[in-house]
Amino acid sequence: MDQKNIRNFCIIAHIDHGKSTLADRLIEMTGALRPEEMSEQVMDSMELERERGITIKAKAIRLNYRRADGEGFLLNLIDTPGHVDFSYEVSRTLAACEGAVLVVDATQGIQAQTLANVYLAMEHNLEIIPVLNKVDLPGAEIDRVMAEVKSVLGYGEEAVLKISAKTGFGVSGLLEAVVARIPEPKGAPERPLRALIFDSHYDRYRGVIAYLRVIDGTIRRGDRLRLMAAGTEMEVLEAGFFNPKECPVDELGTGEVGYVATGLKQVGDCPVGDTVTASARSAETALPGYRPAKPMVFAGIYPTQANDYQELREAMEKLKLNDASLTYEPENSPLMGHGFRCGFLGLLHMDIVYERLEREFGLSLVVTAPGVRYLITKTGGERITVINPSELPEPSEIAIMEEPWVKVSIISPAAFIGPIMELVRASGGNHRNTHFLGIAVGTEGAQRVQLDYDMPLRTILTTFYDQLKSRSRGYASLDYEFEGYRETRLVKIDVLVNDEMVDAFSRIVPPAEVQEVGRALVHKLKEVIPRQLFAVPIQAAVGGRIVARMDIAAKRKDVLAKCYGGDITRKRKLLEKQKEGKKKMKNIGRVEVPKEAFLSLLKTDF
Amino acid sequence: MTELALYIHIPFCRCRCHYCSFVSTAGRMAEMPAYVCALIGEINLRRRTGALVKTIYFGGGTPSLLSASQVGEILAAVRANYAVAEGAEITLEANPGTIDKEYLQNLRQGGINRLSLGVQSLDGGELEFLGRQHGTAEALAAVCQARAAGFDNLSLDFIYGLPGRSIRKWRVMLREIIALGAEHLSLYALTVEEGTMLAELARCGAMALPDPDATAREYEVACRVLAQAGYQQYEISNWARQGYSSRHNMTYWTGGEYLGLGCGAHSFGGGVRYAATENLDAYLVALGAGCLSELTEEVLTPRLALSEAMMLGLRLNSGVAVDDIRTRFGIDLHECFKTEIKELVALGLLESDNRHLKLTLQGRLLGNEVFLRFMPP
Repeated sequence: MDQKNIRNFCIIAHIDHGKSTLADRLIEMTGALRPEEMSEQVMDSMELERERGITIKAKAIRLNYRRADGEGFLLNLIDTPGHVDFSYEVSRTLAACEGAVLVVDATQGIQAQTLANVYLAMEHNLEIIPVLNKVDLPGAEIDRVMAEVKSVLGYGEEAVLKISAKTGFGVSGLLEAVVARIPEPKGAPERPLRALIFDSHYDRYRGVIAYLRVIDGTIRRGDRLRLMAAGTEMEVLEAGFFNPKECPVDELGTGEVGYVATGLKQVGDCPVGDTVTASARSAETALPGYRPAKPMVFAGIYPTQANDYQELREAMEKLKLNDASLTYEPENSPLMGHGFRCGFLGLLHMDIVYERLEREFGLSLVVTAPGVRYLITKTGGERITVINPSELPEPSEIAIMEEPWVKVSIISPAAFIGPIMELVRASGGNHRNTHFLGIAVGTEGAQRVQLDYDMPLRTILTTFYDQLKSRSRGYASLDYEFEGYRETRLVKIDVLVNDEMVDAFSRIVPPAEVQEVGRALVHKLKEVIPRQLFAVPIQAAVGGRIVARMDIAAKRKDVLAKCYGGDITRKRKLLEKQKEGKKKMKNIGRVEVPKEAFLSLLKTDF
Repeated sequence: MTELALYIHIPFCRCRCHYCSFVSTAGRMAEMPAYVCALIGEINLRRRTGALVKTIYFGGGTPSLLSASQVGEILAAVRANYAVAEGAEITLEANPGTIDKEYLQNLRQGGINRLSLGVQSLDGGELEFLGRQHGTAEALAAVCQARAAGFDNLSLDFIYGLPGRSIRKWRVMLREIIALGAEHLSLYALTVEEGTMLAELARCGAMALPDPDATAREYEVACRVLAQAGYQQYEISNWARQGYSSRHNMTYWTGGEYLGLGCGAHSFGGGVRYAATENLDAYLVALGAGCLSELTEEVLTPRLALSEAMMLGLRLNSGVAVDDIRTRFGIDLHECFKTEIKELVALGLLESDNRHLKLTLQGRLLGNEVFLRFMPP
């Protein structure tokens, strides 16, 4: 199709602000699917995504839209991931679009994440169509949120659409606006091929499926292509688009969005952000903005049962096929056995990987406390990076220690500024800026504020987000981006269970927090480790110095008082169950630790 | 001749006790005559020759809700269909408050020669907490009446580990228990079972759960005090004067054959466990039509049978005989469970010599930890 009848756009929205519902409505109203074919939120295809109500893998859907005057258009709706961990993926999606529909929940207003993504969209010169969603709800505060949109983003009331994705109200107007306001693609069909990969997934039969936006030139089935950054060569086994079902086509023309089946073996060979060109007639320069995925958060993943290691390794390999941002390397711990030190984009990414490993591969796993990458300059001048607390050199060997900092942006009702500031201070954050959003109209306390801080990434890894939510009664939202490395001075707290050091429990903290964190750690462990057949001391130590200790008393009683003729089968089954339960425990020396203990330790407030 | 233990289940109670999870019904006592009829029908249907009944046990529920003549009719049916050994142990469970002297005399004359009284506590407040229908006075009276009726093999049940009970109070109660002079004592730790009133109370916070440490202390005190008073412990929860162990219950723990009659009763023989329906209506309908009620059946694999033999045999103070296991299962325990036995001995839970494996006192309190190590992997 002629570029002037193509529109490529995405939807930017905070979690729960109705992005998926709106996408569903657009699909339905353009007739891509009949209402009876609609399953709720068709664009979120992974089971996990649905449960969490978020989108992890972007997909593009082609909609055929006929304007009132009868002219036909191709609308490519590209779904964006909606979480801070995936901001690079978001930026690549935006780079594939000319416009964005910004969805703001009329009952809530602008959230930090929305704002972060809007700024990203503005950086990419996208035409933004702001819409207030859920205007049909009784709790909608249209005037207040309208004022917020004006003050923060500068859009007047005339530019903002009011819709209800749920009922379909205003959606046809939105479709008109998409065609009228979002610019057409302006690629050069005659120039050498340049297409941007904005997502990919692995398919068992056809290899990596790359989602791409053709900027210049054309992709035809059978073409030999080359990735300009990765250097990978591949053949177009199949090209096509989604409507939302797969529709193979012979070619994807300039300005179009679709997929290419590449036959490549893992998504890492086909990195998001890379530029595809033709092997025969290559473009001279790649599209801007490519950056290899860089993990920010690290944690150990171990099988609960040591003999599941092989299975875990195979599962990691399979997962990696589909997740270029996941990194892993084998790790051995004297007590935890064989496992992997994994790198993730962020905490959500870590949760998702962990859950997928357990769910899709049926593994029982233990995850250690997440940490960051430290840069250490040793006294001898040698520079090393440390992603595993157990590899942190002795304090005397460290000349300079650096840790990653992030720019954190929090948006919250002004009423919670006090508790939030306190939380950020306690987490080692430096205040940069406070910015009031809009003018409060309507109910008192509706005034919202954007707080900007610099914080060590380390301090937002455990419970910061949960605490932020609880201190703001769920209203505050958070976004962060990597800022840089700063010098720091931290020490490692070790935890000894029954006199054996458990490296998985080690934490790196400021010296001033040693006592408090040590006490919290042993206290939590005492709570979560069940009583054993012998007394178990739990100690926290820095260097050789014990900073906290608690003892778990030996179990005294565990026997069924009665066992007569009618009870035998039932009692035996209880014992079998008890024995089964022991298998789910991770053995630390002689101590049986439920895997939940590891998880709850991650969630401990310090 | 095969030796057989007969269990007869009487699933009726006036009220359900707060801790009870047994098959029993409260408020359906009007159906007892029909039940006795059905039971006798079942006894006839399951007539068996070639086996010698060494023990008969009326359990419940509350078997003492049966009239003496009903007990007599049931026993007559048993004798008509089974060979009952001379001097067979015939036990009936009775609740204080459901019995009087005349009733007990009639039972005794009808052939019941062992009485098991569910006393549970000698403290009025505790009895109320447990939801028992009797008080301390009735309990003491029941013991006297049983003696007067000629019962010379008397067993009393008690519960320990009640939340909030002081160890001193338990010591005093143990002295009173000993003074009652029963031949046999069963002491059970209070267990809060799913679906009981106590579980409900605990869930809504109206009751503290039994404290395992306090329960363990009470058990240790009981073991010491009862031994000093001349009671010999022969099972985790059972003590007896010399020669008065429950022969019927020993059948369960030594893997003997038993036949359960009545609603919800279990049987074992030839490596197979059977359970009758727990539904009283289904039981009555089936027997009313002259058929046996449906049985669920579990065929034990040799491995499961072995774990049961360990789980049951180790409950006994005499322990598990290595030779006996070798004869029954063709394995050497010291070879097959070498690491487990070593670990348990090191933990002080198990005593092992070449011929026997036995729980230590500590092991009796942590029996599950021992038993489960002999379960299939």
